Amino acid sequence: MSWITVTIIIFIYLLFILFLGTAGGRGRERSVVEYIAASRNLGFFVMYFLMGGAIFSAFAYLGGPGWAYSKGAAAFYILGYCALGLVPWWLWGPRALRAGKKFKYVTQAQLFTDRFQSNALSVIIAIVSVLAFIQYITLQMKGSAYIFEIASGGRIPFWAGALIAYVVVVIYVFYGGVRGVAWTNVFQGAFMIVIAWVLGLYFAYKLYGGPSEMFRQIMDANPTHLLVGPGTKMSFAGFSSALLVSVLGFAMWPHLFMKAYTAQSEKVLKQTIVMYPTFAIFMVPVLFIGFAGIMQVTPDALGAPDRILPWMFMHLKFPAIIVGLVLAAALAAAMSTQDTITHAAGSIFAQDLVEPLKKEKHTDKEATRWIRISVVGFGAVSYLVAIFGGQTLVSLLLGAYGSIVQLLPLAVATFFWPRATKAGAICGVLVGVLFNFGIVLNFIPMFWGIHAGIQGLVLNFIVLIVVSLLTKPMDREHVQKFVTL
Amino acid sequence: MSNDQGNDGYGITVFRPGTPPGVKGRGMIFFIILCLIILIQAFYWLFANSVKPFVLGMPFGMFFIVLFIAIEFVVLLILYFAEAKDVSEGGGT
Repeated sequence: MSWITVTIIIFIYLLFILFLGTAGGRGRERSVVEYIAASRNLGFFVMYFLMGGAIFSAFAYLGGPGWAYSKGAAAFYILGYCALGLVPWWLWGPRALRAGKKFKYVTQAQLFTDRFQSNALSVIIAIVSVLAFIQYITLQMKGSAYIFEIASGGRIPFWAGALIAYVVVVIYVFYGGVRGVAWTNVFQGAFMIVIAWVLGLYFAYKLYGGPSEMFRQIMDANPTHLLVGPGTKMSFAGFSSALLVSVLGFAMWPHLFMKAYTAQSEKVLKQTIVMYPTFAIFMVPVLFIGFAGIMQVTPDALGAPDRILPWMFMHLKFPAIIVGLVLAAALAAAMSTQDTITHAAGSIFAQDLVEPLKKEKHTDKEATRWIRISVVGFGAVSYLVAIFGGQTLVSLLLGAYGSIVQLLPLAVATFFWPRATKAGAICGVLVGVLFNFGIVLNFIPMFWGIHAGIQGLVLNFIVLIVVSLLTKPMDREHVQKFVTL
Repeated sequence: MSNDQGNDGYGITVFRPGTPPGVKGRGMIFFIILCLIILIQAFYWLFANSVKPFVLGMPFGMFFIVLFIAIEFVVLLILYFAEAKDVSEGGGT
């Protein structure tokens, strides 16, 4: 009855996280700036894990080994973008932080809306972000559902597995706000890193006698698996454009961008960026797990590539306690991303969609309540999508990424180009987003295998520049506020 | 509210007005280096699309990417300390 032990360990883990998350926000004042931005007061240690938890997602923990297993060298792109993702933030992060302090922003859209003086922009950004978030969270839920399914030997069905972990997340996000999210991420992040290293190396040594030998065997069995280009699972243009769009888009994700407002100081923000590539190094052994699976199980027997990590465990006869801990770590990966996204989605829905559309402004207390209601509402909607929706994990994430990167021209224009106008900003974003959806929905053919997000981005920049130059410049003093931050 | 480039206040503004030329130069150099690192990783297949030799147990392509992650980390570290020195000397950015 080892599955009982495994399931019990996972539930104990969930209770612990629930306690940590709700305790994290206790005794703090009830204001919007506390709930969303932790009163702009987080230090380096917490910021590091808060940002790290967001990337160490089900995508990294289940999708990463899945890619290594099924697509080989294409998985190297994950390392590249984990490492580089925050680098562009060096440009906007500190500026966003200063803007937030000066003009009291707590969300990304508030910054752009103020710069371009347009509530329509706020609504567009809110809708795009919330849609992308639903796709993103759906994949985390599928990740947690796999884990419960495997832990219980199929006794906990998909719908229940997705639900259990998510209810825990919604509860502590509801009560704990961003502080709850941050403190659970510190614990979950540290836990995952330890488990990832132990496992990756363990599999490589135990099954093959070392990583070199493992890769040698893979090469002998399938010479192109560890390469990219024609005849492999990913084309040259596909690899390069996927990496570039991910790097450019990463810090544009609203839940990451708005963390600039939570940092105590610019110093903390920059320290976080400097240390961020270490998370990519933590990903290396995670990929080893997927590579180690290649010689062990055929794709047909496995079903979906994303199952490779849990599969490796169940078939290598580990003691139940170890299996429980590892599955809890994988669950931690899914949850530490779910919480950040759910928190951001609730905040954005309430602050950027509801507030601009209302005639009377809410009081601070009412606004916080609205955010909490949105958190629960968002949770319910994404759960339904996860249960009734389809598609594989990674393609979903890349699809959503394509739309989010379209916010990049807004950041560039806000901080560096005072001549950009309201009309230019709105037209640019609309063209970029619609183009991307056109490609995803197959209305527009793919061009040379280049990532849709990059193509949309080029159009987006062109439209922004041309339309801005054709329209009347905005008030000089107003726009200068943003470039002289 | 005057602008560095001496234009009408609507030109591209990369640095805050009053940024010393040394800080600007350093900013540009690091910007170029980091852009190169990003491009090298994105186009890693131009340089290292091979399995052999194995380095540190990893196939060469994977090692190449990890190597550039390490380089990136060092570059960021240098940039951070260079900027921190400005602040302590009262330059500030």
